[in-house]
Amino acid sequence: MEQINELKARYSISDSRDQRPDLGFITVDPGRLAALLAELQQVRGYTHLSFITAVDYPETGTFQLTYMVHNFESAHSLGVRTVISRDTALMESVHHLWKQAKTYQRELKEMYGIDFPGSPGVDDPFILEGWQGPPPMRRDFDTRAYSEKTYFPRPGRKTSDPRRHMQSRLYPDYTPFEEET
Amino acid sequence: MKLKDLIAPFSVWKRATEKPYTAMKPLSERPGADRYRGFHINDQEKCIGCGSCEAICQNGAIDMVEVAGVETTLTDSGLRPRIDYGRCCWCALCVDICTTDSLAMSNEYVWIDEDPEVFRFIAGAEGKPWDNSEKGYRRSGGYSLLDPERVPMILEDPKKGVTSFIEMVKGYSADAARQEARRCVDCGLCIASCPAHMDIPDYIRAIRDDDLEEAVKILYRTNPMPATCGRICTRNCESACAIGVKGDPVAIRWLKRYIIDAVDPSDITAALGKEFSDSGKTVAVIGAGPGGLSCAYYLARMGHHVTVFESSKKAGGMIRYGVPEYRMPYDRLDDEIAHITEQGVTITYGVTIGVDKSLDELAASFDAVFISTGLPDASSLRLTGEDLPGVLSGVEFLERVARGETITLGRTVAVIGGGNVAIDAARTARRFGAETTIYYRRREEDMPADWEEIHDAKLEGVEIITQSIPIQLEKAARGKTGLVWGRARMEDQGPGKRPRPVLIVGETYTAEVDTVISAIGQTADLSYIAESKTASVGIDGNKVLADYHGRTENVKIFAGGDVVNSIGDAIAAIADGYRAARSIDAYVLTGKGKT
Ligand SMILES: Cc1cc2nc3c(=O)[nH]c(=O)nc-3n(C[C@H](O)[C@H](O)[C@H](O)COP(=O)(O)OP(=O)(O)OC[C@H]3O[C@@H](n4cnc5c(N)ncnc54)[C@H](O)[C@@H]3O)c2cc1C
Ligand code: SF4
Repeated sequence: MEQINELKARYSISDSRDQRPDLGFITVDPGRLAALLAELQQVRGYTHLSFITAVDYPETGTFQLTYMVHNFESAHSLGVRTVISRDTALMESVHHLWKQAKTYQRELKEMYGIDFPGSPGVDDPFILEGWQGPPPMRRDFDTRAYSEKTYFPRPGRKTSDPRRHMQSRLYPDYTPFEEET
Repeated sequence: MKLKDLIAPFSVWKRATEKPYTAMKPLSERPGADRYRGFHINDQEKCIGCGSCEAICQNGAIDMVEVAGVETTLTDSGLRPRIDYGRCCWCALCVDICTTDSLAMSNEYVWIDEDPEVFRFIAGAEGKPWDNSEKGYRRSGGYSLLDPERVPMILEDPKKGVTSFIEMVKGYSADAARQEARRCVDCGLCIASCPAHMDIPDYIRAIRDDDLEEAVKILYRTNPMPATCGRICTRNCESACAIGVKGDPVAIRWLKRYIIDAVDPSDITAALGKEFSDSGKTVAVIGAGPGGLSCAYYLARMGHHVTVFESSKKAGGMIRYGVPEYRMPYDRLDDEIAHITEQGVTITYGVTIGVDKSLDELAASFDAVFISTGLPDASSLRLTGEDLPGVLSGVEFLERVARGETITLGRTVAVIGGGNVAIDAARTARRFGAETTIYYRRREEDMPADWEEIHDAKLEGVEIITQSIPIQLEKAARGKTGLVWGRARMEDQGPGKRPRPVLIVGETYTAEVDTVISAIGQTADLSYIAESKTASVGIDGNKVLADYHGRTENVKIFAGGDVVNSIGDAIAAIADGYRAARSIDAYVLTGKGKT
C-alpha cells in the first residue's frame, strides 16, 4: 500500500483503505481513472484486470464503478473506484489497456445503461437478447411491473388470495356492507 | 447458384462417423453445491398458506392454489405455493420471507423434459425426487426479513396501580405503533378468526402509512366499538397471526387501540360522516350493551330510526358494569357511545322491558325488534351456604363498584372461578386493599381468562390456587365465612379432550375469609319473553334461539349477543349485532328476512 501513498497526491485519490492484507480500495476522480489504471498496469505491476462492476445509488444520483486489478507478484488486488453521474451515465473506456474490458463495458451498458463510447461492440446485446425495457440492474427498475407486462401469464395460471379463500370456505354468508355500497 | 452451395448441406455428413470433438458428460455427475438454489421444496405440514412468498416474488412466479388433502382452517388458508419456473429467477426471496420456514430450495437443478408445462408445480406436494433433499438453500441465520419480537407495551407499576383505578395498560406511542405495524406481512389469515371479520391487515397498513382517518373508517366498517375492543378484546385474531408461528404475534389489539387513542374524538365524527337516506322504518333495540349498540349503529347508517331501551342509567352493558375502570376507562367508553348516538341512535335509559314496557308493546309499535339483553345474573355455585351474608357474586360486586357504591370486603377475599370475571373481581378486590386468592378447578393453562390478565393479576399480588374444588361454604368465627375446598387431580379424557378435575378423597382444606366472591358464569333473565303474549320467541334455558343472521322464529324479532351466542365476549356480540342489522334491514325493506 505504500505505493498507493505515492500515487495519492498525483491522482488526487480521495479515499483509500485496506480491507485485507491482500485487498485494498481507492477512490479517484473519473477524469483521472484511465491514467491511474495505466500507471498501475504498466509501472506498478497490476497487470491483470479481474472485473469491472457498478453499484446504482439513485439516492445520490450516482453510479459507483469499481475496477478490480491484480498484481501477481505481490498477490495483491486493488479495487479502483470512481463515482459518475447517473444522469449522463458516461465513462471513458479502458479497452485500450485491457482487451477484455470491452466485455465488461458491454455488460455494464446493458445492465445499467452506462455508456463507454468507443468500446468495441458496446451496444451489442450481452445476455439479454431482444430486451425492450430499461436497464434491469438500475435500482428503480420495477421487476414486478416489467415481468407482468412482458411475460404474460402462461395459460393455466391462477391464484387465490388467502383471505378471500378463507372467507369462501369458512364464512361464506358474511357480507361486508360498506364495501358493497 | 453454384454447385458447391447445393452439396454443402450434405458435406457435413461426412463427419457423422468421426469421433466428436465435444464430449457428452453424464449430467448425473453435476451435483449442485450444498447451498445451491435449485427446485423448491415445501413442508406441507408446516406451511400455513400465508402467501408471503407470492407477495414478495418479483417475477410473479408463484400462485397460491388449493391442494388435495389440505384443509382450510382458522390458522391455515389451505392454499400452497405453486411455482412457475418459466419465470423464477432463483433469487430465494420467497424462502427468506417464509413465515414458517416451510419453504426451502433443494440443490437439484437438472431436469430435462420436452413438455414445458411440467415446469410449474406445487412445491413439496407432487412427489418430486428432491422433496426430501437435505441439501440446497435454507434461510441463513444472522438476518431475517421478519421481525419476531413484539414492541413491548408500557404498563403502570403494579404497586401503584393497585392503589387506584387508573388505566394499567398505557398504549403505544405513534413510533411504537408504526414499528409494530411494520411486523405485519399483510396475509389476512387473522380475519377469519375475528367474529366480526375486521379488515385487520388494512387498518394495520393504514397505521404504517400514517393515515389514521382511513384507519378509523376501516375499523368502523365492521366494529363500532374499537376503543373497547382495542383494550379488552379476546383477540382470537392474534392466535392466527402468521408471525406468531416463529415469533410473537403482531399486537393487533394494541394497534387497534392506538388508532382510536391517537385520533381526536371530533375527527372520528368527521371521518364517519353521516350520509344515509331516511327509510322511514323504526327498530327497537333492547339492551345497550355491545350487541345492541352495534346493531343500532349499523341500522342508523342504513337509514332506519333506532330506539334503544336500556334498564340502566348508562350504556355499555357489561363493558361498563362488568369490566373494571382500570381496563376500560369510563370516559373512553362515553366517547365511543357518543359516536354511536351521533349517527341518530336514541337511547332511552331507565326502561326495563318486562317491567316498564312489554315485548308485545314493542313488537306492535316498531317495524322490528332486536333483543340483546345479555347475561346479567350470576350462575349459582350450587353449594350449601351460598346465601351466607359474606358471599357475593362477581358481577354484582363489579356492578356495585362501577355504580360508585361503598363496599366493605374486609381484609381477606376468596374468588371462585377462572374467567375474566374472576380475574376482574380479584384485581378489583386488591384495589380495595384485600388479600385476594383465586380458587380454580383446573390448571392455570386451562383458565379461560386472558393470559395477560392472569399475569397482571399475579403482579398485583393476587394468589391463584389451581386444581381446587369448592365443596361448601360455612359460618366461621369472628363473622368470617369458611370456604371448604378439596384438592383435585387432573384426569385424562383421551386425545383432543380437556382433562377433567377429580376430587382427591381426604384432601380438604378450609379457608376462613371475610368475603367469598363467586364468578363461575352468568345467566339470562328471560322473564320478559316468557311473559309476552303475542310476540313469541323461542328460548332454550338461558338462551334465545336465533340463527347466524340473528333471526328468531318470529319474523319481526331478531336477537344476538351473550343471550344468543355461546362465545360470550364483546366482539362476538358486536358481530351478532352487525349481522342482525343486515337481516333487519332486509326485513323492514322487503318484508322478508335476509337469506
Ligand atoms: C366482569 C366481566 C368482564 C368481562 N371481560 C371481557 C373481556 O375482557 N373481553 C371481552 O370481550 N368480553 C368480556 N366480558 C364479556 C362482555 O362484556 C360481554 O360478552 C358483552 O358485554 C356482551 O354484550 P351484550 O350486548 O350481549 O350484553 P350486555 O353487555 O350484557 O348488555 C346487555 C344490556 O341489556 C340491558 N338489559 C338487560 N335486560 C334488559 C331489559 N329487560 N330491558 C332493558 N334493558 C335490559 C342491560 O342493562 C345491559 O346494558 C366480560 C364480562 C364481564 C361480566
Ligand atoms: S426464487 Fe425468487 S423468482 Fe423464484 S419463486 Fe422464489 S422469489 Fe420468485
